[in-house]
Amino acid sequence: MRLLVIEDNEQLAALLAKGLHTAGYDTDIFGTVAEARNALLMVAYAAMILDLGLPDGDGLAVLRELRHRKDPIPVLLLTARGGLDDRVNGLRSGADDYLVKPFAFEELLARLEAQLRRPGQILGNSLRVANLEFDVRSRQATVNDEPHVLSARETAVLELLMHSKGRVVSKKQVEDHIFGLSGDVASNAVEVYVHRLRKQLSDKGARVQIHTIRGVGYLIAEEKV
Amino acid sequence: MIRFKSIISRIVFLHVIALVVTSIVMSFALSWLLGVATDNIHDQAMQDQAVSVARHLALKPDGSAALELPPELQGLYSQPYGRYSYAVLDERGRALVSSLADGSAIFPLDPQSRDVEFLRTQRGTAAISGASIRKTLGEKTFWVQAGEDLANRDVLIDDIVADFFKDVGWITLPILFLLLAIDIAIFARALRPLREASEIASHISPIRTDVRLPLDEIPSEVRPLVAAVNQALDRLDEGFRVQREFTADAAHELRTPLSILRTRVDTLDDRGIAYALKHDIESMSRILGQLLDIAELDAFVIDPNDRADLSEVCGHVAQWIAPLALKQDKEIVLSGGHKPVWVRGNPEMLSRAIRNLAENAIKHTPRGTVIEFAVEENGVVRVSDRGPGISEEERELIFRRFWRRDRTLPGSTGLGLSIVQRIAELHQATIRVENLPAGGARFSLYFVRLEAGGDSLPAAAE
Repeated sequence: MRLLVIEDNEQLAALLAKGLHTAGYDTDIFGTVAEARNALLMVAYAAMILDLGLPDGDGLAVLRELRHRKDPIPVLLLTARGGLDDRVNGLRSGADDYLVKPFAFEELLARLEAQLRRPGQILGNSLRVANLEFDVRSRQATVNDEPHVLSARETAVLELLMHSKGRVVSKKQVEDHIFGLSGDVASNAVEVYVHRLRKQLSDKGARVQIHTIRGVGYLIAEEKV
Repeated sequence: MIRFKSIISRIVFLHVIALVVTSIVMSFALSWLLGVATDNIHDQAMQDQAVSVARHLALKPDGSAALELPPELQGLYSQPYGRYSYAVLDERGRALVSSLADGSAIFPLDPQSRDVEFLRTQRGTAAISGASIRKTLGEKTFWVQAGEDLANRDVLIDDIVADFFKDVGWITLPILFLLLAIDIAIFARALRPLREASEIASHISPIRTDVRLPLDEIPSEVRPLVAAVNQALDRLDEGFRVQREFTADAAHELRTPLSILRTRVDTLDDRGIAYALKHDIESMSRILGQLLDIAELDAFVIDPNDRADLSEVCGHVAQWIAPLALKQDKEIVLSGGHKPVWVRGNPEMLSRAIRNLAENAIKHTPRGTVIEFAVEENGVVRVSDRGPGISEEERELIFRRFWRRDRTLPGSTGLGLSIVQRIAELHQATIRVENLPAGGARFSLYFVRLEAGGDSLPAAAE
C-alpha cells in the first residue's frame, strides 16, 4: 500500500518513511506543494500525510484542489499549528484528520489505519481488541479465532464500539447507530443491549471490557488483569 | 498649604474665597456709591432751594434788598418744621434775612467762595448741610444760603440708605452663590471627557493593551498629556505583541524538532528508555501546547455571535478524557447535560477550559476514585475530584502562570488553570474553587446563560 508524505523537514520525513515502512506501508516523500501536485496526478495513493507549512506554499491549497476534483483520498494533516482557526480551517478544507506536532508515531499509525478502514477504503478487513476480532465487512465477531453469532442489535453495538476502539462512544451515537432516525427509543434500551453484549462476550471468553462512562457513553478496551 | 485631591475641590475652594471677598468689597462699594449718590441729590436739592429763594430777592428803590417769599416757600421754612432753613447775606457776611430763630447766617461767609458752594456746619447739636450761591442785583452782591438739618433729613432717601443691606444688598450673596453653583457645573462638564478617559484607562491591562483614550472631547490643555499616554500605550502594546509573538513562534518552532525527537525515540531498541523519554517528550509537548494556547488566548477576541452548548462541550470533554482516566483506574461521571445549555462563547475555547480542569482533576484524584462533571441548566459547569483539595491560601495562587504546589509532580506545567481563568475572563464567567465535605476540590464555572428563545435559539447557533 503506497502513501504520499508531504513534509519539508527532511529528518522528520525520513523518520516517518522509516516508521511507515516498518508498519508495512510504502511511501513517496516530497517536500513542496509543486511536487505534491505532480505526485498526486501520477499515482493513486491509498492516503496522504500532509504538512501544512511548506516552503513554496500552503498545504491546504493542495488539499482544496483535491477535494475540488472530488478525490476521496484520505488526508491526514500534520502540522505545527495547533491554533483554533488552523484546526477548523484544516477540517473545513476537507482533511479527514488532524495531528498536531509533536505527535506519537503510534497515534499517527492508528489514525491512518482508522482512515484506511473506512468503508470504501483499502484496509477493509478486521478490527481487534485483545482476543476479540470483528470483521467490518461480514460483521462477524470472532473470539480466539472462533466465529460467534451475535444478535443483530448487539452486533450493531459491537460494530460501533470496535470502530471507535480506545475512544468513548456516546450513548446518543449508539442510539442513532441502532435505531437510526426511526421511532422512539426506550431510555434504557441501549443499556439493555450493552448489558447483553457484555454477557455474550464474557460467556465466549473474550478478554475485553465494555466500560460504562456514566452520563457519557461506552468504551471497549482490553480487560485489565 | 492645603493639598487638593481634585481640580473641582480646588476650584470650589478658591471660588468660595473669591466670592466672600467679592461680596464684602461689593457691599462696601455699593454702599459708598449709594452715599455719594444721596449726597449729590441732597446738594442739588439745596442748590435748587437757594436758587428759588434767590429768585424772590429784589432791590428796593433805596438800594436795600427785599425778600418776598411766596406762601409755599414760607411753609417750607416755617420754624416748627425746622428742617430746612435759608439766609440771605450781604457781601460782608451780615445776615439780611434768615429763617433761623436768631436771624443769623447758616454758614459763615468765606469771601473766597465761588458762585456755588456746598457747605457743612454744626449748630448746637444739629449738623447742617447746604448750598450757598452768589446773587448779583444791580451793583450789589448777595449770598443766598439754603440748609437742611441732617437729623431730619429726607425720610425716603434715608430709608433707602439705611435699609440698603436688608432690602437690596442681600441679593448679591445668593446671586454669587448661584454663580458658584453654575461655575461648578461648568467645570464638572468641562472635566467630563477627562473622567471618561480615566474610566477607559482603568481597563488597560496586559491582556487589554488595545485600549486607547479618546482625544475628540479632551480639552486642548490636557490633550498633549492624553496623546502622550496613547503613544506610550502604543509602544507598550507593541512590546506585548512582540513578546506574545515570540512566545508563539518559539513554541511553534520547537514542535518540529520535538516531532523528530519523538519519532526517533520510537525507533529505540531499549523499550525502557524509550518509554521514559516518550514520557518526557509528552510533558514538554504539553508545555509547548499550553504556551501556544496562552499566546493565542492573549490575542483572542470572542465573536459576539458565538454560541456554545455547555452540555455538548462537557460531553465531548468527558468523552475525550475518559480513556485517559480509565488507563489510570479513575472513573469519569457526567451528570446533567441531557438538554442543551446555551451560553455566549466560543465552543472550542470553552472546551479547552473544561479540558484543563479535567486534566487538573485527573492529576490530583487518587486511583479508584471518581471525577465528576456536572452541567447545570443555569449555565454552571462543575468539575469535582477526590484529591487533597485546595487550601484557602492556595486558591489565588493556583491560577498564576507556572505556579505549582508540587514541582515534582510529573506532567504538571502550572499553566492549565491560568488558561482556565483566562478563558473564563474572556467569557465573563466566574470561577469558584471549594473543598468538598467528603474531600477533594470542586471547580465551578459560572457562565452567562442565554435565555431560551430570541437570538439564542439552538438552530441559530448551529
